[in-house]
Amino acid sequence: MPLEILLVLVVGGIAGIALLLHLTGNTRSAVLRPEDTGRAWRRHFPEDSRVETVLTGAGGQFALVRTRAGPGVIWGFGADTVARHLTGCPIRQTEDGLEVDFKDYAVPRQQFALSPEEQAVWLAELEAA
Amino acid sequence: MSETLTYPDVVTLAVPLFVAAILVEFIWIALKGRGGRYETRDAVTSLIMGAGNVASGLLLGFIAWGVFMWLWRLTPLDLGHSVWVVLLCFVLDDLRYYWVHRFGHRVRWVWASHVNHHSSQHYNLTTALRQTWTYTFTFMMVVRAPLILIGFHPAMVLFVGGLNLIYQFWIHTEAIGRMPRWFEAVMNTPSHHRVHHGRNARYLDANYAGVFIVWDRLFGTFVPELDEDKPDFGLVHNIATFNPIRVAFHEWVGIFRDVVQPGLSLRQRLMYCVAPPGWSHDGSRDTSEGIKAKHLARHPEDTGTPGFS
Repeated sequence: MPLEILLVLVVGGIAGIALLLHLTGNTRSAVLRPEDTGRAWRRHFPEDSRVETVLTGAGGQFALVRTRAGPGVIWGFGADTVARHLTGCPIRQTEDGLEVDFKDYAVPRQQFALSPEEQAVWLAELEAA
Repeated sequence: MSETLTYPDVVTLAVPLFVAAILVEFIWIALKGRGGRYETRDAVTSLIMGAGNVASGLLLGFIAWGVFMWLWRLTPLDLGHSVWVVLLCFVLDDLRYYWVHRFGHRVRWVWASHVNHHSSQHYNLTTALRQTWTYTFTFMMVVRAPLILIGFHPAMVLFVGGLNLIYQFWIHTEAIGRMPRWFEAVMNTPSHHRVHHGRNARYLDANYAGVFIVWDRLFGTFVPELDEDKPDFGLVHNIATFNPIRVAFHEWVGIFRDVVQPGLSLRQRLMYCVAPPGWSHDGSRDTSEGIKAKHLARHPEDTGTPGFS
């Protein structure tokens, strides 16, 4: 197959599928309900038997949790979730909330939108750990 | 000895089929309301990974081809190119695939290339195309050397490898439950391959087959899909990026960071490259054996069931 035709097929195929998926509502992000946070966390860390939700932020886009292994954050990633423990992760205050550096190339720095009150709760939780 | 045997580039020719099948699967799921999930950014990432895989083949394929042709000139054997020879080559290449795939899950250097294929939390036909960009750097091309040295032409070996890849496309779906029993016994199927993509402790390091599931049955790595333990797709530690560059290279970066950390012995640095994924010098991480052991500590009732025996 000539390279030009292959290129058109690949680019056209990706663009067409992306458009179709977006227009049919498949770009919506996962929303974490407080009652589901524990189960969602244990999906990532099954050994964390006790999980308490400290706060759920930005309309369910993320949640701060307390576990025996220390505090952690779980957040929506596409239609699914990703979770990480926070121990040892540098955290920086930004205009809109907090930015966490997970020191992991596969998990770029994440911004979590938090009100000043929520930031205080979050930082207190980290301090207590 | 024939130098100029040519076969069609079947993977490239199959691209329109891939696009059409993805559309059919998506429409089927939308109409039926079951049989899988699609998410825009996840699917686009998978498709870009697939395009990048083709591009890396065009850019770096000459390295493997050069090695294969060197071996071909070296060997005194030539099995010819009859249909039976092509069929035999297909079967033996599938055995080759089984072992390369097994190394891909048990040797971190090879896993660094293969991990991106498992990095989606979805399991649909786009996942099949989430392929590596860095296979050349694993040096796993050497596993094809015996095929060439016993007399299969390099062009034939690459041709059947392409057919193998195309076969594996359709098994990346939740839209198909189980195939007839005889088929499930011999061939790799959506059910068997869902197990392979499962991050459940039970399903780790299982079902490495490409086309024939008999290799897993033969070498003791077969685990059936259990209705009571639905596969949860993705990685043990899921990545949080749709950026194709990060998807392609994150484990290589992980190896680099582990290897250069201060205070390690030479052996420990080497182990970070070649030990099974999850190995660490201080035991702070879990390999699949560790994950299974921890699961059994929490669920002793699973002892002796498939995947835990």
